[in-house]
Order: sequence, then structure tokens, then C-alpha cells
Amino acid sequence: MRAGWIGRLQDELAQAWIVMVKDMKVHYLRPGVIMFGFLMPFFMFFSFSVRREMAAAQGVARLLALTTFFTAGAMGPFIIPVERRVGTYDRLLAAPMSLLTLLLAKTAVGAVFAIAVSVFALLVGVVAFGATIAQPWLLAAVAILSSFSFSALGLIFGSIPTRNPGDVQMPSTLLRWVLLFISGVFIPLAEMAPSARALAYLSPLTYAQDLMNHAVLDTGYLNPWLDLAVLLASGILFLLPSILMHRRGRVLGY
Amino acid sequence: MANAIEVENLTKYYGRPGAGVLAVDHISFEVRQGEVFGFLGPNGAGKTTTQRMLTTLLEPTEGRIVINGHDLARDAYPVKRQTGLVPEESNVYTELTAWDNLMFTAWLYRVPRAQRTARARKLLQDFGLWEKRDVKAENFSKGMRRRLSIAMAIIHRPPLLFLDEPTPGLDPQSSHAIRDLIRQLNAEGTTIFLSTHQIEEANQLCDRVAIINHGRIAAIDTPEHLKQAFRRVQSVEVALEPDGAAHGDALAALLGVATAVKMGDKWRLYTEDPSALLPLVMDYARSHDLRVTSLNTLGPSLEDVFLEITGQPVGTVRHEVQEGGSRQRGMKGQMGGQR
Repeated sequence: MRAGWIGRLQDELAQAWIVMVKDMKVHYLRPGVIMFGFLMPFFMFFSFSVRREMAAAQGVARLLALTTFFTAGAMGPFIIPVERRVGTYDRLLAAPMSLLTLLLAKTAVGAVFAIAVSVFALLVGVVAFGATIAQPWLLAAVAILSSFSFSALGLIFGSIPTRNPGDVQMPSTLLRWVLLFISGVFIPLAEMAPSARALAYLSPLTYAQDLMNHAVLDTGYLNPWLDLAVLLASGILFLLPSILMHRRGRVLGY
Repeated sequence: MANAIEVENLTKYYGRPGAGVLAVDHISFEVRQGEVFGFLGPNGAGKTTTQRMLTTLLEPTEGRIVINGHDLARDAYPVKRQTGLVPEESNVYTELTAWDNLMFTAWLYRVPRAQRTARARKLLQDFGLWEKRDVKAENFSKGMRRRLSIAMAIIHRPPLLFLDEPTPGLDPQSSHAIRDLIRQLNAEGTTIFLSTHQIEEANQLCDRVAIINHGRIAAIDTPEHLKQAFRRVQSVEVALEPDGAAHGDALAALLGVATAVKMGDKWRLYTEDPSALLPLVMDYARSHDLRVTSLNTLGPSLEDVFLEITGQPVGTVRHEVQEGGSRQRGMKGQMGGQR
């Protein structure tokens, strides 16, 4: 342990890193994570995109938005209840690190998984279907930002005081489906009725999809800076309920 | 001697105060630096709840905890650095090897890079796990996981170690090894807070014992002082032949006998005055043409003290805990010997 706040910050960063690396080793190959994190976005993509005329680049933008949304959000609701059940979460809660550090580490676990799957999806789109990317750096930024934001969203459900992943998978999946169907992923914002568009603005996926469109197709409906700001703000806001629920869990004994 | 732990008026309700379940009820105690402090109580007495509050995992409803001079409610960070925790379930990462489990914990507690490897190697060697260092913990026996979880709890060399039920379910060899480890850690200066329902374990290991029941501390003292304070649970143990088992009711009726409990081929007669009871037992044997094959007077054991304090009939729980279900059923017929 180092002295002073800079030393403490270095310690906390190192602890977040080691928790993330440990979680990758422990959880990435679990069947539930592969099912909900890896297969689900591809399943959703092919369900709603097959036999519809769509340019390769447009398909890539949609697939990447779905990948970050489903893959990043799959980890939190799974790994925390599992760790609570086997008692290893106590090890992390009792360790000399802040709750925020722990939550950021858990968020990073889902985000890194989503980024890796997104890279795979991107390679398939570029190599197999010849898609071109208009703004690669913007694509990298949106992939990272939306992965962290959606992972933080999943973490809210993982923070519900329970030891059973089944208790949180259902509400987590339900919310993600609602956010998916009201978003502008399957129907472009420009083609929506004003009331549907107003509803779409409630889903963070709308902003991720719009920004993906800017990055891949070089066209979008909203200002890209607005998309970035909303994704950043939602990522931060999503951490707050997790913090509150962890505090509640400490009162209840989870 | 300075206190490692000071607890004042500690209370925990699960649910709303006054309406929920009161798990810990305004308990106060101190644990001195360098001692092994036993927290003894039956299942559901509040041991684990108390330990979880002491290790920051559970928020107290009321009360104050000071550990090594730090108020836990305001200044938990240094306390977390100075404590190690071995929970009731061995919470090792079964997907990782023994080596990776230790290295992860060392990283987490920011053990300096130069010392991580050396400490992990030493611990694995000391705990008999060196040969299995590259084996995933999912392939470990319960005893090996227990040893690994203790190694993980002490790799940062905490001056205060919390152990929750360290030996139940382990084979005698593993239990013995873990008790030796606890003694060794204490000899090296580690203060140990040991929650257990195993009375003999507390008797063997602890400098002082707190007995908790229904969320309240019923007694705190050294094991020997506790035994001396409960002279009424002294006993006379007698084996009679032939057919000694048939004389339980008669022995229980002798003057001064509080309870008669069958212990194998012997009867244990609980009394406040063994010296007065001895001639009565001999007279009884003579008058019924019985041979006394063994006769002993016994002081109170910590188990007897525990049963007295927790309000359980002396002799009954002993069989339930140590001799299993079949013996427990057998006791029903023998309880007629009690009065």
C-alpha cells in the first residue's frame, strides 16, 4: 500500500485491474455468459435482418450496436449473484478498496467482453461482407463508450441483493428487450412517428446506434456530440443505483 | 495490553428495528492484542452476524466497533488492510489454480511485487499445497480448500485474523493441521477471533471465550474460569456389571443427582457434590449385588458449561452433536433416567 491520495489512487487502479483480469479468467467461458453475451446479439441481428435489403455497412452498424448492448450488459447480472452465492464476493467487499473501484472493475469486465465480441463482429463484416468504415476512430470511441455504459446498466441488476442469478436475469432481459424495441435499431429514427421517436430517446441504445451510423455510414440523425454526451452521462448515472443497492445489501446481509 | 477489538452495544436487526429479527442484541466485549478469542455459540446464536459486522460486510443497526484504534463506521479502510477473513465456506476461486488464487489475493492487498512470489511459495509449502500449486481448486478436497482459503487470508500478514468455523466437516487430520496453524499464527503475534460451535476446539485454542446465545453474550472468561464457575455440573461416572444399563432410573433417584446420562457402558451422574454421592453409589451397587468396574469424579467440561449457559439439558446435545442421528434416537429411551 502506498501513502497519500496519489498512492491510494494507484492502488485502487491496480486493484480494479486485477479484479477485472481475475473475472475474465473465471467467468468468460461460463455457458450463461456465452449464451447471453456472445450468441444473443447475433441471434437478434439475424432474426431481424435476414431477408431484408440492407447494405453491408448498415448491417455492421446494427450488429455492433446490438453486440455492445447485449454482450456488455450480460456480465453484471450473472457474475455478481454467482460470486455472492459461492462467497467469493465477500472477499472483494472485505478487501481494502472502495466500492466504486469494485464496481468500475466489474463494469470493465463486461465492457472488455463486449469490445472483444464487437471486434469479431466488425472483422466478419469487413472481411466477409466487404463493409467499409467511414470514421474508424469514432467507431472505436463509440464501441468503448457504449460498452462501458451498457455494462454499467447490467451492473444495476447484478447489484440487486440476491445470491441467485435467476432472480436478476429475467428483469434484466426484460428491460433490455424493452430498450431494444423502443430504440432506433430496427426502425431508423428518421422514419419513426414523432411519438415513437420521443419514446426512442428514452433508450440509451438509440444514441449508440446513431453514433454507430455516424462512425460506419458517416450519417446520423442526431448530433454525434449529443450521442457521446448521453452515453457518457448514462454510463455514470447507471453506477449510482448499483452503489445504492450495494449499500442496501450491506444492511440486509448480502 | 491494548485491545485489538472493542465492541460497544453492537446490535443487528434483519428487517426494521423492533419488528425484524433481532440477530445480535446489544453486545459489548473486547479482544486483546495477541490473544485467541473464541466466539462460541450454537447455530443461529449470532456468531456469523457479529463477525460479518466486525469485517465490514454487514452494517450494524446500532453500536460501535473499534479495531486497532480505528472506528469501523468512519475509518474502515485501514482496518481492511489490517485484517484477514476466513469465512465459514471456503471462498476460493475454484476455476483458478492454488497459485493464481494466492497471487490474486496478494495483488488485491497490494503485497509488494518482490514479496508476492516468496510469500505464496512459503505458504503453499507450509500448508502442504506446493505440489498442487498448478491444480485448479475445483479438484481440491474440502480440507485443501480450507487450507488454501486460510493461506489467502494471511498472505498480506494481517495482525488480526477472523476465522469462522474453521474445521467442521473436515477429517481429523485436516482439523488437527488447521488447529496447529492457528496456534502457530498466534505464536507469531496474530490476534485471532475464532467463531465456532465446537466446544473442544475453543477449549484447546482460546485464551478467552465469549459464549453467545440468542444474540446475547452469556459469559466471557478463560475456559478454566468458566468451568470453575459452574461447579454444579460436576459429575460422577460409574460403570456397573452385570446389566448396568438397566439401573439408570435408580441411579438418577439417588440423593443429590441432578441428571443421569448414559455414556456408552457407563452412567454419568451430574451433581453439585461428587464426594457426597460416591458412597451412595457404592451402597447402591453393594445392595444390588453389582460390581463397580469403574468409578470417576469429573469436573465440569467447557461443553457442560456451554450447555448450562445456553439452557440445554446437560448430556442431550452432546449425543446429538458428537454421535449422530442413530445415537440421538437411542437417547429418547434413555431420557427416562433424567429427572
